[in-house]
Amino acid sequence: MVSTAVVDTVTGPPLQELWKTRHDKTRYQWSSLGLLTPTFALLIFLFLVPMGFAIYLGLTNLTLIGPTAVHSSFTGTANLIRLKGDTTFWSSLWVTGIFIVGSIVGVVVLGYTLASLLMRATPWMRVVVGGIVVISWMMPAVTAGMTWYASTTGNGTFGTLFGHPNANLLDAQPLLVVTLASIWSMTGFSMLVMGAALRNIPSEAIEAAIVENASTWQRFRMIVLPLLRPTMTAIVLLTGLLALANFALIYIMTQGGPGNSTNILPLYSYQQAFTFNNLAYGALIGNVMVLIATVFGVFYVRITTRRI
Amino acid sequence: MKVMLRGAIPRLIAGTAIIALSTASLATGVASQAGASSKVTISVAYAANTTFDTTPLGLTWWTQVKKEFEKQYPNVTVNLDAVPGGEPDFLTKLALLYHSTSTAPTLAQFPSTEIALYQSTGYLANMNKYLATTSWFKDYPKVIQNEGKIGGKIYAVSSGENNVGLYYDKAILQKAGIALPWQPKTWNDIISAAKKIKAAEPKIIPLWVDAGTSAGPNGAGYGILNLLAGSSTPTIETSSGKMVVSSKGLTETLDFFHTVFSEGLGAPTSQLFSPNNAPNIPSTDFFKGTLGIAVGANFLGGNWTKQVSFPYWAKASSAMGVAGLPKIHGGGYASTLSGWDYGMSSTASPAQLTAAGEFMNVAQEQTNLIEAGNWAGWVPPVQSDWTVPLYTNFAAPFNEEFGKLLPSSSELPSNANYNVWVQGIEQASGDIALKPSTTGAQALATMKGYVTNQLGASAVVSLP
Repeated sequence: MVSTAVVDTVTGPPLQELWKTRHDKTRYQWSSLGLLTPTFALLIFLFLVPMGFAIYLGLTNLTLIGPTAVHSSFTGTANLIRLKGDTTFWSSLWVTGIFIVGSIVGVVVLGYTLASLLMRATPWMRVVVGGIVVISWMMPAVTAGMTWYASTTGNGTFGTLFGHPNANLLDAQPLLVVTLASIWSMTGFSMLVMGAALRNIPSEAIEAAIVENASTWQRFRMIVLPLLRPTMTAIVLLTGLLALANFALIYIMTQGGPGNSTNILPLYSYQQAFTFNNLAYGALIGNVMVLIATVFGVFYVRITTRRI
Repeated sequence: MKVMLRGAIPRLIAGTAIIALSTASLATGVASQAGASSKVTISVAYAANTTFDTTPLGLTWWTQVKKEFEKQYPNVTVNLDAVPGGEPDFLTKLALLYHSTSTAPTLAQFPSTEIALYQSTGYLANMNKYLATTSWFKDYPKVIQNEGKIGGKIYAVSSGENNVGLYYDKAILQKAGIALPWQPKTWNDIISAAKKIKAAEPKIIPLWVDAGTSAGPNGAGYGILNLLAGSSTPTIETSSGKMVVSSKGLTETLDFFHTVFSEGLGAPTSQLFSPNNAPNIPSTDFFKGTLGIAVGANFLGGNWTKQVSFPYWAKASSAMGVAGLPKIHGGGYASTLSGWDYGMSSTASPAQLTAAGEFMNVAQEQTNLIEAGNWAGWVPPVQSDWTVPLYTNFAAPFNEEFGKLLPSSSELPSNANYNVWVQGIEQASGDIALKPSTTGAQALATMKGYVTNQLGASAVVSLP
């Protein structure tokens, strides 16, 4: 483009001057800091201070009951050293990873499948199936846990359906079953969000692809998937965070057992703090969970604030 | 922090709420004390949903004792602090109440396995002075008197005890060709009877013995630890305070579990690992006629009474039999002993402590003590009560039989490491129940690894 010195004598400075001002960059007005003070105060007192205290707590010998319940002290890196050598913690971290990844994969795949099938379903079927799935999402974790417990133990629905009424799936494959329960309880959310995103895909793009003889897989890979990517990213991150915090479901179904096979980090933190009375060590495990959640959070913020 | 919201934080919030409520109620008490010097207010904390067989029975008993006490002592006001939740929730909330002198209950009732922890924190007052003049404490068997004794001082006193024996269905044993009344002399006799039941009635669960972690420390107390108590080396904690992670007794006990589950004699894991009150499941199974023998706690008999109805079974007294749990090679019976005890707050005023002592006197009066025993499923700690009709007729013949078995019981340890150790042995028993091919030695290795990892090598010991 050829630059020309155009002067708008009526409204202000030359256009070249305006063009020099970058409108795609964030600008600050220092006076706005005053308006942000209440938010900063809330952030400091409701998040940073408790967070700092939790970090400190994790480095003490505080117990729920016992001599150090009253007179606890800072123990430096003692708890960190213990954590490093704690085989139950590492096994718990591994179980947590499998549980989170399994939940994410299941929720995304099942949510997309249901949403795309419901797009093609008759209205009444959409209402019935959609309603059932959403109810499973809205169900309290305690109810969902009891439902899955009753369905997967002896004389439960699953065993009876497959002709083995005494089969005890929960104890035979505990991690798989609690992961399925987690997927079941979160798929409604994924289906709703995915359904809304699918409806926003321009039909012209799909029709054009059909005219160009694109296969179903090609249409999915080259049109649907790229347009759904932001939605899927949000679902992946939120599902990950929800799975990481899914204490009640597993506590109801297995309490982390048999052995430590479903002992995800929130359960192990609870066990240390309230069963073994080690509040400080439980807090340290909680801090590890905060770290993991922070990683998810940072990715989420970066992706959702990314300019398209 | 969000990730903790479902776990630890709600308990802290719940605890804080309780503290706030209790503060309000105590503030009223303090005000009344200040107003008239002769007036005293005490707070009594108890588990609302855990100790008694049903919540209404607990409420009835505590309200009755409070009413009776306030009638006898009009200058004393009692604030009952019914702490809700299962046993772990109750313990967490009680610990939080003790964290502040303004909310610490003057008198609290808690499990005997917690006494040393509360005492070592400095929460409990020495009760020797108050017990010296009571008429009931001297009638306690020595083993129960010593339950709350630390360093020669008594910090807690039993309000009721749980012990364990063998229950059996007479009809099933008869069908299996076992002579009645059945009293096994050794562990082999138990296995042999269970095998006969399996052969005669293949669809029946031959032998119930708790396994796994789902019932918390109580599950072991009503199950595997009773076998350990009858093994060659029953030691759980050495005199130096170290937890035993390997011993002949542990091996024998886990081998017994291996035999039970590898021979298909044990209950299915869907029942053993049930989060829904597993130690009480045998009372339902016996009622349905699906269980032959159970290593079970004394309260199972009371479950069949009309008052408890878990489930109500009028014919239980004639259909069921009770036997002592024999030691491994004979020579008597073995059982664990664990109770619920009263402890006084070390921060209470002398007037409050005196009032709390008097409240205990009313609570331990014979009728109240026996009713607590009947409704909470305890053996009363006063030996002479074991033959009183109010006790023996409530869940006949079970109450009387478990009273007779109590002297052969031994106390469970009370220290900070016990819960970790119990988690280890429950994992070991759960491993065997889940995978019956797991040998006793393999399960013991799992337990040793877990407990050593949690407590550190210096806190554990292996015995020959």
